[in-house]
Amino acid sequence: MKPANHAVRRVLQGGLAAIAVLVIGGAGVTFAQESVAVRAAIVTGGLPVDDPNAAVWSSAPPATFPMSPQVHWPDRIQEVTVKDVIVRALHDDQQVAFLVEYSDPTQDPDDGAALEFMVGEKKAHFAHGQPMLQVEGGPVNIWFWKHKEDKAVDMSAKGFGTLKPQTHQDVKAKAAYSNGTWKIVFSRALSTDHPEEDVQITSGEFISIAFAVWDGRKDAAGELVEKGSQKAVSSWWYFRADAPPDYSSYMYAAVAAALALGFQFVLIRKLKKGQ
Amino acid sequence: MGALGKPIILMIVMYLFLKFVLPIIPGSAPLPSSLIFLYLILTASGIVIYETLSGESKDAFWGPIQRFLTGENIGGLQALRYGVLILFPLLVGWQTYGSTATSDLPPTESRTIHPAPPGEYTGLVNPVPKTPENIMQGKGFYAAFCSPCHGGNFDGKGPAARGYIPAPANFADPTTIAMLQESYLFWRIKKGGVGLPIEGAPWKSAMPRWELELPDEWIWKIIMGEYDGAHQSPRTWE
Repeated sequence: MKPANHAVRRVLQGGLAAIAVLVIGGAGVTFAQESVAVRAAIVTGGLPVDDPNAAVWSSAPPATFPMSPQVHWPDRIQEVTVKDVIVRALHDDQQVAFLVEYSDPTQDPDDGAALEFMVGEKKAHFAHGQPMLQVEGGPVNIWFWKHKEDKAVDMSAKGFGTLKPQTHQDVKAKAAYSNGTWKIVFSRALSTDHPEEDVQITSGEFISIAFAVWDGRKDAAGELVEKGSQKAVSSWWYFRADAPPDYSSYMYAAVAAALALGFQFVLIRKLKKGQ
Repeated sequence: MGALGKPIILMIVMYLFLKFVLPIIPGSAPLPSSLIFLYLILTASGIVIYETLSGESKDAFWGPIQRFLTGENIGGLQALRYGVLILFPLLVGWQTYGSTATSDLPPTESRTIHPAPPGEYTGLVNPVPKTPENIMQGKGFYAAFCSPCHGGNFDGKGPAARGYIPAPANFADPTTIAMLQESYLFWRIKKGGVGLPIEGAPWKSAMPRWELELPDEWIWKIIMGEYDGAHQSPRTWE
């Protein structure tokens, strides 16, 4: 056999071995799926809690969530203005800020938006923590903003008709409207002193989040079209405040690879001696 | 390589079968990677047991492995040997990284689409006579109350459906109402999403609890209208 052919054969054999090992090892590997979460990246040097148009928002990855008219509760609506919300989030290990953005052709005093979170370990129905018949549910924490007040109301609910503002108001909101788009920043400390009514955010952990929007337009008779439970809503999605980078996995991997290398070395020595 | 070649080929064929052939068999589904891994481990164990049954086959099986690892008299396989010796520690390191690194993926959720109904909702018979008038009336109620989500074409694609997960059921799909009894639909319509047991993830379902708004007779008529409109028949035990 010619030396060139021999070298090619060696390369092919090495490649085949590599493929065989990867195929067998690859069985344990999973691949990323479509994003169903909004994640807050860590920033240093202050959160843009008062500025929906701050440049730093563009560094936060946007997540788009589809909206539906609220149909679960009897006081329902069949058509709503807002079809999607785009949500970004940032945190600085003390506070979290959410930027909620959506198209609304008119700016009205009664325009409103809200974030909803499950509170505690128990699951809560996405419709205001509506009681479930076979499962004991938990409460929800709602951060509500309305244009005419341009401030946030920190609220609790456990079923329709139970929504009420909390005695401790921990949430801030600031909104800006331009070119048919609302941008609203909600902000709060990651944790509060009232874990029974406020969502507690621990970096690195996924929590449930949902969205609601009211277009404050009026019909020909001067009545609000979207109000109360007649609003655009989303299902539950996930939110996570990113944890600081953790490089320990690389160290574990290096130690494991070194151990495997040592094992091979000892094994082959033993085999050679045995012969 | 005679005693080793066959097991390696067998492992590769097994992997390709589990990964690519099994999912295309009708009624089957793609296997999770953890299950494929488990099956391959079982296959490998089976091969080792088979090959080490007798002293003769044991030598035939282990002999080439020993020669391969020590690199004695294996000629052209030397490159393969170095490949394995380099890749094995890398693979161990990679798997260790994969199992200790924090995941960027949200928790996976499993949800039973048609969980078992409470006992009192099994075996109920539709008390409304199946007349053209009643079916017509049921379709009218369907259009008013159900079609915003479940769609005018009974396909689950109503204008209000887009934001809801789980998506409203598609009644034209043979895996929904066609495999359920009328009694089951009566329960699901009456109690809605909040009536589901825990395995049905009731906190995510937007389905209204229609018992608060509609009389039972209307619900039975809606069921008739749904089956007729979606060109399906209720499941029966005959």
